[in-house]
Amino acid sequence: MFEFDLLELTRETITLAVGLTAVLASLGVILCSSPVYCALYLIGNMICLALLFLLYNAEFVAAVQIIVYAGAVMILFLFIIALLGGKKEIQESPAQRSIVFALIITMLGELYLAATVGPTKPLEGVFDSKTVAEVGGSAKAIGLELFSRHLIPFELVSGLLLVAAVGVICLAKFSYVPLRRRVK
Amino acid sequence: MFMSVELMLNSVNFLLVGYSSFLKSLDGQIFALMIMAVAAAEVVVGLAIILTIFRTRHDMDVDHIDVLKG
Repeated sequence: MFEFDLLELTRETITLAVGLTAVLASLGVILCSSPVYCALYLIGNMICLALLFLLYNAEFVAAVQIIVYAGAVMILFLFIIALLGGKKEIQESPAQRSIVFALIITMLGELYLAATVGPTKPLEGVFDSKTVAEVGGSAKAIGLELFSRHLIPFELVSGLLLVAAVGVICLAKFSYVPLRRRVK
Repeated sequence: MFMSVELMLNSVNFLLVGYSSFLKSLDGQIFALMIMAVAAAEVVVGLAIILTIFRTRHDMDVDHIDVLKG
């Protein structure tokens, strides 16, 4: 008999559509010549990725993606673009042939890998969606993991962010002395 | 150019989260969170450098920036 799971089919269709939109938006980021349009396409790409995270049962990462990337980072990008005046770039691509060459080589390598490496058995963890739901949601499960097994990287990340903040203040505030033009 | 870096980091994040869901493990999601933090720091520092370059040189073309001296 022909098995027909409507829920699974809908899920696959949505995943495919959102993924296709993400790919198109990233192509827009690369190919668009105006920086403002690039930034807007990038926001679209990030929102699509957040939807995909939701489809992969990673609600916490999706929320962080929306808040950090589509919120903070993209506002920063747009602010800098507005500050510097987003001029259109002239698209010049002198290395067309090498790009095609690199693409072909990559595809061949990919085919070789797919042909030689056989099916591997993945190491399965314990966190399937049922276990995560029992713990109390994705955020709580990630928090438990993060503060027990991955505590040192977490603290190191806080140090990194502090250093970045101090460095940005030093760069933006103290360094501006009108430097002498280089004598040619 | 700078946004393409973000694009690449995003795609790696997506890969990690996808495999994390596939392998039923949370390590991939935690790694994706770390990547997000590193990317945020990188964006902030990079944009500050771009701003400083623009203020000293009044020129944004990457091909023209060839000395570290202002």
